[in-house]
Amino acid sequence: MRLIDRSPRAANAVWTVSPGGELFVASVVICMILASFGDAVDPAWIGEAGLEVALFDLGGEFSVLAMRHWHLLQLLLGGAALAVGITVLRIGGTTFFKALRPAPSGGVEKVPIKL
Amino acid sequence: MELEFFSAAFLSALFTIILIDLVLAGDNALIIGLVARNLPKDTQNRVIFWGTFGAIAIRAAMAILVVYILAVPGFMLGGGLALVWIARKLLTPDSDTEASHLAKAPAATFAAAVRTIVIADAVMGVDNVLAIGGAAHGSILLIVLGLAISVPIIVWGSQLVIKLVDRFPSIILLGGAVLAWTAYSMIVREPLLMAWFEAHTATKLILAILIFSISLGPWYSERLSENMKPLVVLLPALLVWMLGFEVAASVWKVQVDYLLAREQGEYMLEGLRWLGWLPLAAAFLWLREQVVKRNARSARA
Repeated sequence: MRLIDRSPRAANAVWTVSPGGELFVASVVICMILASFGDAVDPAWIGEAGLEVALFDLGGEFSVLAMRHWHLLQLLLGGAALAVGITVLRIGGTTFFKALRPAPSGGVEKVPIKL
Repeated sequence: MELEFFSAAFLSALFTIILIDLVLAGDNALIIGLVARNLPKDTQNRVIFWGTFGAIAIRAAMAILVVYILAVPGFMLGGGLALVWIARKLLTPDSDTEASHLAKAPAATFAAAVRTIVIADAVMGVDNVLAIGGAAHGSILLIVLGLAISVPIIVWGSQLVIKLVDRFPSIILLGGAVLAWTAYSMIVREPLLMAWFEAHTATKLILAILIFSISLGPWYSERLSENMKPLVVLLPALLVWMLGFEVAASVWKVQVDYLLAREQGEYMLEGLRWLGWLPLAAAFLWLREQVVKRNARSARA
């Protein structure tokens, strides 16, 4: 028996995980897959295709090809940054589209002025 | 691979080992309690000390031994595949409750109690040792440091660990992801396959997605609707299909790249590679539907 099995929440982590924690781990997994993509792409091939400017100069340290050397701590930090970015985009996007949504035509507060 | 002391790579590997130690830690307190429950009080204290000491010693010896075993060609691949299964098992809800049978019967003597505790810990710790052996990149220092940090936490701070994972269950998901990542790096580092991976670099990406799709299957399958559940089988199967053609191209020296194909047979092989999986996927979906219908009928009956 594992130590974590003493906690029902930990033993059923796939059900009990919080949305924030899930987003963080999913972002770390995305970073891991991107790092393996950087490992899979041969930089010589990129050079032959003339894409080195696009991938190396503009992307800098954050380019996918640079991620091939990332260690776990870097992947965790990258995952955290990605999760924060996704959260900000989600909140910003929700606010933006909420503002664009028209008020109901028969609504009392169509014109938001209180008399 | 020799890691420079206190470099980012070294600290990352140390963190990986500690995380793996925590999520795969066995419940020693339960085993000791079960084994020593019928012994006299003074003997119980000695059993707790020597049982814990023996378990730590065996764990350290196994971890160091695994580093040397993993250096043997073929074992890195086997270890990586085993880690995929361990990660999947870790994420499967209520997956691991069978190990307590190792110590169900209370021991009658001091020696028998210590022996049972040490054997139970060794059996429970095989997956743990294998994982930290793979994450240590061949460094004994890393394993010793990892054990020196995590074993006291597990033995004397087990309540702290339980509270931590209870408050943040995402640690378990992170542990599963780190195990899958370790499995990928072990398979890619396999001496027998290293040259092949260098020649077929694109397969590394397919392999990584394949490992993550199998290891994290219990997690993402919970988030899929009933109609999308077959993806949990179809995605890894499709990736295995693609990898199989790459392997076949190397073994039988056939051309599977359509840009380099010249003969009709090579074009047919290419067509089979990209479209051949479709009838198999359709057959799988049809079979699955039949099984679901039959189960629903038998449930009604």
